[in-house]
Amino acid sequence: MAMAEAASLLPGLPDEIATWEILVRLPPKSILRCRAVCPAWHRATTARGFLLAHHARQPALPLLYSKDYNCSVGDDIKSIDIIPYDHRAADKLHSVARLDGASHISLEACCDGLLVLRTYSKRGEGYALTTFICNPGTRQYAPLHQLDGFGLLGMYPHSPSGEYRLLVVQKTKKSDGCYVYTIGSSQPPRHIGCPDDKELMTSPESVFFRGSLHWHTDTMITVFDTTNESFRQMHSPMVSADDHAELFEMSDMLGMFCFNEKENIVDIWVMQDYEGEVWALQHRVKLPIAEIMEQFEYSGGWFDLVAASWDGDVLLLIQFQDNWLLQVDMDGKLIVNIHHRFMYPTLLRLKQSLLSHIFFPPLEDYVVNASPFI
Amino acid sequence: MATREAGKKMIMLKSPDGMEFEVEEAVAMESQTIRKMIEDDCADTAILIPNINSKILSRVIEYCNKHVPTTGATGAAASDTVAPAALAEDLKIWDAEFIKVNRATRFNLIQAASYLNIKGLLDLTSQTTIDTISDNSLEEIRSFLSTKNDYLPEEEQTIRRENQWAFQ
Repeated sequence: MAMAEAASLLPGLPDEIATWEILVRLPPKSILRCRAVCPAWHRATTARGFLLAHHARQPALPLLYSKDYNCSVGDDIKSIDIIPYDHRAADKLHSVARLDGASHISLEACCDGLLVLRTYSKRGEGYALTTFICNPGTRQYAPLHQLDGFGLLGMYPHSPSGEYRLLVVQKTKKSDGCYVYTIGSSQPPRHIGCPDDKELMTSPESVFFRGSLHWHTDTMITVFDTTNESFRQMHSPMVSADDHAELFEMSDMLGMFCFNEKENIVDIWVMQDYEGEVWALQHRVKLPIAEIMEQFEYSGGWFDLVAASWDGDVLLLIQFQDNWLLQVDMDGKLIVNIHHRFMYPTLLRLKQSLLSHIFFPPLEDYVVNASPFI
Repeated sequence: MATREAGKKMIMLKSPDGMEFEVEEAVAMESQTIRKMIEDDCADTAILIPNINSKILSRVIEYCNKHVPTTGATGAAASDTVAPAALAEDLKIWDAEFIKVNRATRFNLIQAASYLNIKGLLDLTSQTTIDTISDNSLEEIRSFLSTKNDYLPEEEQTIRRENQWAFQ
């Protein structure tokens, strides 16, 4: 009997343990590789249940991108790397995707391991804009041709249909409301209307939380319910209009960081009660400016700051002078400093996934390792 | 409850080969499976741990003894004098020694940690195999883990080509 059975995944371990305690813990790239070990491993690591469990285990890491110039700034960009920031291994950051042939990149939206990007490439005197969706984990990508002329507000899984959708606005006609585009569809975006789109367009990126997209607009939080695709508003903490305030996800709560550049203070607010719309000030962080000035010869000027949360810890990522990326903790202590030219933090977080999607062309159609991924 | 008030309530764990191990309740409760049994009052006298022989069970208990959080009067005193970072470093060194076992023992420990639901032990014992798979070539993975390759050569080539970049 035993001889006739299919070979076990790992001799000496029941398949159930080998699958759910070993294989599911492998990093995404190792999963793709280990499928070539034997057919049994391939079967185990391509099952939908396995891929969902694997995705659920992946940390949601803040995304950085870095530009590599051919010689110096002003020259053509050789390549752009997309790098998840793992604060436990900040000394060895790995790029998950490298794109070439683009002069500029904008990371637009990220959800369930899928990333929507816009690249600007030199074409004659001007620049050509390309919008595409990719999965950095599998290197699959698909262009989104229907979105020329639209600005992107956010991406979400539409649970009633199982589709991924983008909330967009027309760039030229900013007063005519919002549109919804289904990824993979050949139809143009569908008009849904919204009175506040002007404000949305000038607002920072959206945060997907509890089935809704959230933006901090002026003095309120604008909420887009992704199930019935309608807008409403929520209370925001009272912050000064001069401060730079943006939302972010804090484990199971909605958070907001508010940067007062004059005082070099960052306030971290959390929405303790989502239904009751109750906000509380959780941390007030005084940035170690004197230390930064001395240690990194920082003389003031542009300061790029984002907050991110993982495992209950909140961390601040600061970029300045195109040269330095610093991580500061909630006590205002400098934890990590990385000297890396042209590396910038974003508000997006990547939680890698190897699930397949019908909007990506089958992998064998790709010219392997060709642009946009190298 | 009387059991909660007593500082050092003892629990009897029995392996299927008839060995009995008396351990502190706090140590046994490092296992979420046993914790649930105790909390549901299903652990009056002795708990039979199926499928885990005495050799493996004794090693599991050794791990739990080392990793149980120090609480109470003596524990507080210890953490006052020793910095948390030093304690963590000490545990790391201890773990590295603990896991220096052959593959059969390690696989038995993985199964025990999975059944008893001891997260730290599961992380520790599975990591060696995860590193083996992540850090080696396909041929090495097959040889180190004794997995049989029943792909046809062209099948394996197709799978490799699909994700060629992952092999670089």
